[in-house]
Amino acid sequence: MDGTEDRMSRINRRRFLTGAAWSSGALALGASGWVIPASTSWAASPIKVGIATDLSGALGFEGNADLNVAKLCADLINKSGGLLGRPVELYVEDTASNEAVAVSNVRKLIQRDHVDVVLGGITSSMRNAIKGPIVERGHTLYIYPQLYEGGECEQYIYCTGPTPSQQCDRLIPWLIKNGGKRFAFPSANYIWPHVLNKYARNLVQQGGGEVVFEEYYPIDQINYGATVNRIMAEKVDVVFNTVIPPGVGPFFKQLYEAGFLKRGGRLCCVYYDENDMSINAPHEIEGLASCLDYFQGVDKLDPGSAKIHAEYDAMFPHTKFLLTAGGASTGMYRGMMLWAEAVKEAGKVDRDSVAAALDHAKIAVAPGGPAEMVPGKRHCKMKMYIGVAKSGVFDIVESSNGLLDPKEC
Amino acid sequence: MDTAVNATFEVLSFSAIMVLVVVGLGIVASMMGIFNFAHGEFVLLGAYFTYLFHNHGVPVGLAMALAPLAVAVIGLFVERTVIRWFYARPLIAMLGTYALAVVIRETVRGLLSGLYHNVPAPLSGSFVVAGIAFAQWRVAIIVITILVIAASGALLTMTSFGLRVRASLENPALARASGISTGAIYATTFTFGVALAGLAGALVVPIFSLFADLGLRFLIQAFLAVMLGGVGTFAGPLVGAGVIGTLTSALPWIIPPVIADVTVYLVAIALMKALPSGIVRGGRRA
Repeated sequence: MDGTEDRMSRINRRRFLTGAAWSSGALALGASGWVIPASTSWAASPIKVGIATDLSGALGFEGNADLNVAKLCADLINKSGGLLGRPVELYVEDTASNEAVAVSNVRKLIQRDHVDVVLGGITSSMRNAIKGPIVERGHTLYIYPQLYEGGECEQYIYCTGPTPSQQCDRLIPWLIKNGGKRFAFPSANYIWPHVLNKYARNLVQQGGGEVVFEEYYPIDQINYGATVNRIMAEKVDVVFNTVIPPGVGPFFKQLYEAGFLKRGGRLCCVYYDENDMSINAPHEIEGLASCLDYFQGVDKLDPGSAKIHAEYDAMFPHTKFLLTAGGASTGMYRGMMLWAEAVKEAGKVDRDSVAAALDHAKIAVAPGGPAEMVPGKRHCKMKMYIGVAKSGVFDIVESSNGLLDPKEC
Repeated sequence: MDTAVNATFEVLSFSAIMVLVVVGLGIVASMMGIFNFAHGEFVLLGAYFTYLFHNHGVPVGLAMALAPLAVAVIGLFVERTVIRWFYARPLIAMLGTYALAVVIRETVRGLLSGLYHNVPAPLSGSFVVAGIAFAQWRVAIIVITILVIAASGALLTMTSFGLRVRASLENPALARASGISTGAIYATTFTFGVALAGLAGALVVPIFSLFADLGLRFLIQAFLAVMLGGVGTFAGPLVGAGVIGTLTSALPWIIPPVIADVTVYLVAIALMKALPSGIVRGGRRA
């Protein structure tokens, strides 16, 4: 018709081969992660720490906060003399909220960079995807910093985030007392809500409550009219929500519009933290209860937390990624510092020596309070707080008596 | 009874949103024969501009009126620089617009730092009729959609510009041969289509919050709607949007939501098998 046919025929063999050569070159070098090196004033070779977290994609806002905390920890460690006289260097790979991309990027950390430990993963599906390349095939330590459903008892995997027992054991009785006995479990359809709901259901029934319904939705669903209607019609008192973004915003909004909060209903969401508060208007989440290892209001109760928060704000003054507990940043702090303690105790960096020391490592200062690993269980004791949202800020209504046992493995 | 009324209202409001999103996609597909995979991202841009203007102090209602204009400007730019090279190769258009979608989506994600943002509705609160609460903004969306579609229909059927657009929709080659400047019509139509998508994004952002993947959710359903409704007329995509919107919002009331998601696609496939050229046969001969 016009010149288009001529243009097509000009793609000849020479141009094709040239293009192919360039593309394979680009692919071979790889769109790779990057290194955050220690300053050049260190004489000894660095200890390599791999950070594999979601810097892009749906969970980018949580992963970037985790990376910030990792940078903060590396900086603090290096400023106080490093580990065994050696600086800590971060090797960063983006898991992109996508398990397929994550696996190939994490492999680079192990095979190309030969890191001594990997910290990262936010969703349980991501943890399950990357633990294979790290632990089984990579023979490297893996520290998972996020709250999750429990049950991860594999050797060389250490979890520094809250478990269902730490989050729910005191929260459910509090909800029954401060909300009511009729619970609804609207949930996202993946592993964490399924397992958490089973644990929570037991607690609800032990406390004399009942679970009116438990329903699962596709992760990207944003229309919740049917669910909201059911909650209102069946006179549910407490919505124990495990729907995650993007669905949680529209869901809470529709609940509010239907009058759930006005008739005294209580929202509960155990991953909800200050970073999530921008999703809804404050009046839509008024009274929402969450149980986490740290809220920004804890700064008033624990001077160690206040110090860490101040250091974070000083290092990242204009960041939009806040230091919060629902997206693994507090677990990342605990993970990095407990591992640093373990390396100092072991005197070596190889996997088995550090694992043996990490098994019982303790730190006195962390967001929320001190933390200690439970020997033999690879999970972490920590203080827990129940926070209730009031006008867009979390109010601490209950603090645990000391460190709570994770009760895992 | 309450449940039935709530369900009907929900179906109406979601179908209204689908109609606004789909009309632009359908018109572009009918006239130029290319499926614009970036259409969902123009919805996202409408939502993003609403948030941006509102953040700079513009009242929300005005921000929602300005956002489609901003999206139209971007749409025109994109059409002149990228899209028009694809008219001769519709298959490559799918890849090219997909790439464009990734660019737009990740740019917006970067601008939002991957966070979720809340935008207030111009009308908050609910009408309470006989004990049932109807969100005021959802009612407003239904009304605005009816007005916009009626105005577009009037534009198409009662103006000479509309006559030329319809001619290009039904038989582009014959229209060109009759002396209608299809290049200018394509540019105008594409811009109009994405402006409608931008309007849809602006209207729904108070309901669904602003996040970078907002457009993706609508894209697949919009495609189903266009294929189901039939390519080649103005009414076809509207009917398709109504069917898909109704299925998507009504099924979760009847069957478990996880199954409902799959069922929508199964029903759509079955319908397309039964009516291969779509529900409204317009006949695109080019």
